[in-house]
Amino acid sequence: MIKPLRKKHLQIWVALAVLIPVGIISAWFSIPPAAKDKLLQPTSAVALPVVLKTYPSRGGFEFNIRTNTDTTQFQLEWINNKMLTYPTATIYETRLNDSNVQHGKLLGRIEARGSYYFMGDSTFIPNNISTYQLVLYDFIHQRNIDIIKL
Amino acid sequence: MGASYLAVGWNRQKKIYDWLIFGFCVLYLATFVVLTAIFNPDYTFETVLIRATSTLAVIILHVILSIGPLTRINKKFLPLLYNRRHLGVTMFCIILVHGSFSILQFHSLGNENPFVSLFTSNTHFGSLADFPFQALGFFALIIFFLMAITSHDFWLHNLSPKVWKTLHMFVYLAYFLVVMHVMLGVIQYETNPVFIIIMLTGSFTLITLHLIAGTREVKKDNVIYKLKQDGYVLVCDIKDIQEDRAKMFCVDAERIAVYKTGGKLFAVNNVCKHQNGPLGEGKVIDGCITCPWHGYQYLPQNGQSPPPFKEKVSTYDVKIEGTHVWLNPKAYAEGTERPGAVISVVNAE
Ligand code: HEM
Ligand code: FES
Repeated sequence: MIKPLRKKHLQIWVALAVLIPVGIISAWFSIPPAAKDKLLQPTSAVALPVVLKTYPSRGGFEFNIRTNTDTTQFQLEWINNKMLTYPTATIYETRLNDSNVQHGKLLGRIEARGSYYFMGDSTFIPNNISTYQLVLYDFIHQRNIDIIKL
Repeated sequence: MGASYLAVGWNRQKKIYDWLIFGFCVLYLATFVVLTAIFNPDYTFETVLIRATSTLAVIILHVILSIGPLTRINKKFLPLLYNRRHLGVTMFCIILVHGSFSILQFHSLGNENPFVSLFTSNTHFGSLADFPFQALGFFALIIFFLMAITSHDFWLHNLSPKVWKTLHMFVYLAYFLVVMHVMLGVIQYETNPVFIIIMLTGSFTLITLHLIAGTREVKKDNVIYKLKQDGYVLVCDIKDIQEDRAKMFCVDAERIAVYKTGGKLFAVNNVCKHQNGPLGEGKVIDGCITCPWHGYQYLPQNGQSPPPFKEKVSTYDVKIEGTHVWLNPKAYAEGTERPGAVISVVNAE
């Protein structure tokens, strides 16, 4: 190492000692309140026993609303039949005719393959459900992939 | 040495290090896959591969970047320095898997060109939470690629050490890009704290190490030698230098190594011709000053590499008065023979 280089290394690290913390802190504070992948995970990995409503299969995936025997718990069962062309997507439940996911509720994240079970709430009760829709949202590309009336 | 381009010297120790690196990587990847299979059985294989390789590469990157300052702080870390380039190339190969699979997984399933998709699918440059973090990773990958393909000595000579060093300084930019790639990417939507823990401890350690080592070194460069006479400056006492070792002094523009060997003191420029290694931190082996980085050798009396090698460094005059060592910072042409300063019994006491 030569003298000017030693000095340059130090200058760079003094700059990084400022830039990195600033970068980390501002990125940390920009994390959206509802972390998008809150659940790749089984909050309820096991299917509830009763199928409340089924929906016709759509290009590679299908889904059902499930519930337990006394209809106190609800679940969205999501099945990818084919490998999906968007590998990282999230499912939001929004009010009918409002496809902005920011206004909706995040149900969970799916990947290209597999079956997923996401907890739902009383909006899944047959009387309520038709005023809602599912929005399949690709958060890597930031666009709505599909909107399905419930 | 410089006489011809030899293949990288694969000596026994280097091979052992390479096996250690390889073993660690395999163990890490296997552990990651098994743990994911147990705790997150829903993850697809692609996701596991993308995450296993990215976290491994980031860990190796932190190790690579801490080797420099660690060797400044403690010489015991020197062996790591010999293997830093291998680590770098290994890191590149691993992260290439991450980059390729990310592009495959996130961009090649549609009907757009995956690279076009990488840059056009998200254009929220004004937003932090939705920033196109993958572009940051892409640019970091390009820098690592350039470093990996120019890592051989052939390129060091062909590009000149100056250009080569400048290119390799871009690793710091790449590191910053990686930090932001992770912070604006996975940390925005993943709740597992592992990622933020790796980034925080990693960057905190690196910043601390570099600031400590850097200020120490720059301080050494800025020492002012007050006592001067006839072009000589008083630098130290004879006792301060151990037999077959040196002490370094930065009197003017560059450090000079003053070696004590065979009852004499000799002064040579501190900068090794190979890759600017610190000759003053090496030792005399078989009568030659031996660079601590890759073992280039120079004769103390004239700064020349023993034949058939052709490297030469500048030499300087030293003199002894009483027990004081005086150094003249005026450089002689590279390879100029100097008599050195004889240490008499009286001085030595
Ligand atoms: C072409 C270049 C690259 C692309 C397209 C890319 C893409 C991605 C994507 C899509 C993710 C999120 C994956 C997920 O949700 O699990 C990610 C995460 C990550 N990337 Fe990259 N990346 C690239 C280069 C790099 C480089 C050069 C590094 C570091 C040396 C790096 C380190 C990471 C790390 C540590 C993560 C977080 C862990 C993970 O989710 O895999 N990436 N990258
Ligand atoms: S820097 Fe490589 S031998 Fe000196």
